[in-house]
Amino acid sequence: MNHSAQDWLGLIRQLPLAGRRVRIMNVCGGHERSITLAGIRSALPAEIELIPGPGCPVCVCPEEDIYQAIQLALREPVILVTYGDMLRVPVNAPKGEVRSLEQARAAGGEVRPIASPLEAAQIARDNPATPVVFFAAGFETTIAPTAALAVQGLPENLSLLLSGRLTWPAVAMLLNAEAPGFDALVAPGHVATVMGPEEWGFVVEEHAIPAAVAGFSPGSLLAATYSVLRQHLEGRRFLDNCYPEVVRPGGNPDARAALEQAMRVTDANWRGIGIIPQSGFALREAYAAHDARTLFPDHNAADRRRMGEMPPGCDCARVVLGKRYPNQCRLFGNRCTPRNPIGPCMVSDEGACRIWWAGGMRESVASERTGAPARE
Amino acid sequence: MQIQEIDGFMAKCEAKGVERDVSLFMLQHEPVDLGDFVVVHVGYAIQKITQAEAQSAWEIYDEMLAAEAEMEMELAPPDHA
Ligand code: SF4
Repeated sequence: MNHSAQDWLGLIRQLPLAGRRVRIMNVCGGHERSITLAGIRSALPAEIELIPGPGCPVCVCPEEDIYQAIQLALREPVILVTYGDMLRVPVNAPKGEVRSLEQARAAGGEVRPIASPLEAAQIARDNPATPVVFFAAGFETTIAPTAALAVQGLPENLSLLLSGRLTWPAVAMLLNAEAPGFDALVAPGHVATVMGPEEWGFVVEEHAIPAAVAGFSPGSLLAATYSVLRQHLEGRRFLDNCYPEVVRPGGNPDARAALEQAMRVTDANWRGIGIIPQSGFALREAYAAHDARTLFPDHNAADRRRMGEMPPGCDCARVVLGKRYPNQCRLFGNRCTPRNPIGPCMVSDEGACRIWWAGGMRESVASERTGAPARE
Repeated sequence: MQIQEIDGFMAKCEAKGVERDVSLFMLQHEPVDLGDFVVVHVGYAIQKITQAEAQSAWEIYDEMLAAEAEMEMELAPPDHA
């Protein structure tokens, strides 16, 4: 198991792919970042396609929730704290109106970026007379610490606007569809660390799709790539763990206990995609006094234009589902750049558009007039 | 990151010269000692690891979040009010 990235590449190149296309999906922004920045795609045989899938919680955070956070910052006497990469995600407000938390801050709202739930608690303790709202989007690994904070005891003036999501139900949704769009899965190492690798067993057992949990180094990613390719070629499928140093059976019991105690799993809306069953976290009743959804009025007017949608022309939802590559969006690299992002996938560090841009891709392959050829 | 000090559930951890306060709340199932290495995500240790594994890209993401938060702070210092 002490192979280097080069060794794994050599092994992959020896596989008898014989012109057969194999599409391998990852569901983790960290994976996509390593793949792109290490140039793994171009090093692999041409038959192998690496597809970024649902790996960006900020990208699918409901537009309604971001709008609500903006309105709370503007209209309520609160301090709104959130992870930094949420600040520039745009909502669909008319021109001239505040469209992001960053703009809300410029307009006088008290918005503060944080890097940890611990900072949210500290800000609340430092400002005991002010309600502090922690707008928390994230997948399991990021939501578990929020749950831990809740279990340990939240400061009285701290509430949560929770937009947490589970990763596997999105993959299940893809696999249950007629054309999932991939032949093998590289499962997310950070999610598996917390929840346990077993969560991904259904991919193999129910769908006969090869799967392997991977870490974030090119070596671990290539080991997982090799594993799923071999499984695919030999027709012998199992859930492999190519990150055993960190991912242990059963996951992290304290993290899972905290999630179980503070949160329940519920049907949840994914921006531009719709409701995915049992894919969201919500605070349990016992924490109602800290639930920003019940503490504050919903500022989303029922007739708000384009409520819940991706921005006009933005293909982010299809990018998240692995149906299109980022550069197949006709706005990629021209109207949409990290400096002037149109959609959330160009804002978040885990967004595939942002990552591809960071990896040096700058141009859309779609013609302005006809739009992109779909990946499938 | 490597654990430098422990005070209850809180620890001071260090990696590449950067120090952070880290919660050990989610490592109650394991004995943790000074000098141990942990995987940290958004300020919480989520797994104990060997020194070799501590060099992985894991923390890059966490550091990125922290750097981003700092960058945003510089753009508009929070204590303007
Ligand atoms: S390039 Fe921009 S507009 Fe196109 S899908 Fe990505 S985020 Fe959306």
